[in-house]
Amino acid sequence: MIWLTWRQHRKQAFYTLLGLAALAALLVPIGITMRHTFADLGLVDCAKQLARADVAEATRETCDAGFQRFGDRYDSLNLVAVLLIALPVLVGVFWGAPLVSREVEQGTHRFVWTQGVGRNRWALVKFGLIGAGVLALAAVYGLGVSWWVDPLNAAAHEGRFGMIVFDLQGIAPIGYTLFAVALGIFAGTVWKRMLPAMGITLAGYIGVRTAVELLARPHYQPARTQTFSIEGDGPPVVSRGDWILAQGIRNPDGTMMAEGARIQCPVGGKGPGGRACGAELGLEPGAYNWQLYQPGDRFWLFQGIETGIFVALALLLLYLAVRRVRRIA
Amino acid sequence: MDMVLATDRLGKRYGSTWALRDCSLQLPAGRIAALVGPNGAGKSTLLHLAVGLLKPDEGSVGVFGRSPYGDTEGLADIGFVAQDTPLYRDFTAAELVVAGGKLNKRWDAALARQRLAQLGIPPDKPVGKLSGGQRAQVALALALAKQPRLLLLDEPVASLDPLARREFLQSLMGSVAESGTTVLLSSHLLADLERVCDYLIVLNSARVQLTGAVDDLVSEHRQLVGPRHDGGVIGGVAAVVRASHTDRQSTLLVRTDGPVTDPAWTVRDVSLEDVVLAYLADGTTQTSHSEWGVAA
Repeated sequence: MIWLTWRQHRKQAFYTLLGLAALAALLVPIGITMRHTFADLGLVDCAKQLARADVAEATRETCDAGFQRFGDRYDSLNLVAVLLIALPVLVGVFWGAPLVSREVEQGTHRFVWTQGVGRNRWALVKFGLIGAGVLALAAVYGLGVSWWVDPLNAAAHEGRFGMIVFDLQGIAPIGYTLFAVALGIFAGTVWKRMLPAMGITLAGYIGVRTAVELLARPHYQPARTQTFSIEGDGPPVVSRGDWILAQGIRNPDGTMMAEGARIQCPVGGKGPGGRACGAELGLEPGAYNWQLYQPGDRFWLFQGIETGIFVALALLLLYLAVRRVRRIA
Repeated sequence: MDMVLATDRLGKRYGSTWALRDCSLQLPAGRIAALVGPNGAGKSTLLHLAVGLLKPDEGSVGVFGRSPYGDTEGLADIGFVAQDTPLYRDFTAAELVVAGGKLNKRWDAALARQRLAQLGIPPDKPVGKLSGGQRAQVALALALAKQPRLLLLDEPVASLDPLARREFLQSLMGSVAESGTTVLLSSHLLADLERVCDYLIVLNSARVQLTGAVDDLVSEHRQLVGPRHDGGVIGGVAAVVRASHTDRQSTLLVRTDGPVTDPAWTVRDVSLEDVVLAYLADGTTQTSHSEWGVAA
């Protein structure tokens, strides 16, 4: 069975590795250059300084300027990151979906399932080996991208907790990839033709990922709130590395006056026409900036929960796939 | 007698359509049995039930006394060549022989290589690039390498040209003759199998129409030609299978249970094909007339 699996998929494995190698050949030099720039701008030290609460104002200003310059140069790479996010579903579409559907489409399931090993064993060995290979692939991908986006994390306000970068690094890609492959295998046992199975895998993956990302992830832990005074000297305090779910300016009684906005006036400062700070927004004295957020130190907890959800879904889909295999003739 | 394959009121349904229904038959050991019926009669369904690919919806099927669905151990005794002889097209014949060895406990790789060498099949060419006849031979060699006690072949010659058909059947007969393997092979054309089989199962419209040893079937059926027949009893006739009439004359194909002595009837021997066609013509065409909304 192991020999058969290897013989059937060696070509595909070769091309997958070739693709990954090409991608690495492209991204690793960019990553190294990016890290050099990061170090040359003194941002390594900055990242450490800014993480502390009692950071000196002068340091913060120079560091912010440094990050600004770094961002100007490398922000476009966030688009590359968006492309990288598609890799797990590609594995699902090209490795998962054809696994059963291609056998059925070409009729070879009637050959292989009537040999002495039987189809249960066939399914377990095949799903197991492909799963293990994909797991290794996803781990390499997750680690590699973690290394690659590290400077971009540091430059971004939300750090590695942000919407798209969170999905790229750590252990979450392992969960996504296993889920994509399991979804592909399951779709192949239901639709039994390669192209529909691939299409369903793509659509299903996008649907589930979007639902989890938008509906579930913000609630893995109760979010915290934080308030800032609307009066203060120096540059406004910006939290780094936290995942901001919502923010705005509220009046003392708690009513939201301006969603998504933040203001800061100098202490005792007056706005145009001698009005109080923010009076044109309808702010009353004692109004404050408000944000709802997930603190940055919950990153690994959230990674763990996200990965757990997708691994559990993958196992469920594989179980259903094995059951469905028994019913295909 | 030892029964290799026995079914009892076996039925399989796809949605609301029965692909096979009320199928009771027994296949004795050592026979070369032909499973004949028009396309869609349920031949593949019966074979898939026998090899355990399908689970019966009704009744039971037993192969060597075991229920084949989900019975992995029983698979070792059954060789199966599916319709259109599906094989991994990018594998070479030699690789398929290796694959078979990995997938089976009992596996005679030497036998398979010997056969393929004799047939002149290139070992290092992907089987997808072989001719249909050669591919069928590879599939047969793989099925025989399992050393099965029952060999099931689903339309093995349907896609072959006449020459390849004959070669395929010859090599099949040559190899099962010594081992005593029971063979059940299906075709929608009796002519393909008439020369090799000694047992016959006729399926039509999901039901068994006729089953028995070829010799018995031929010897117990007769064609009677005589005056126009109005359905009365004829001595020695157990049943009229098919009747056609002109104004003055009737031609009947009958199953006999004794000699027909009535001098009014001219008795002729029939060929196997006559018998099979008579039973197939008995099939149901009523339903499709009503489905089309036209008079029968």
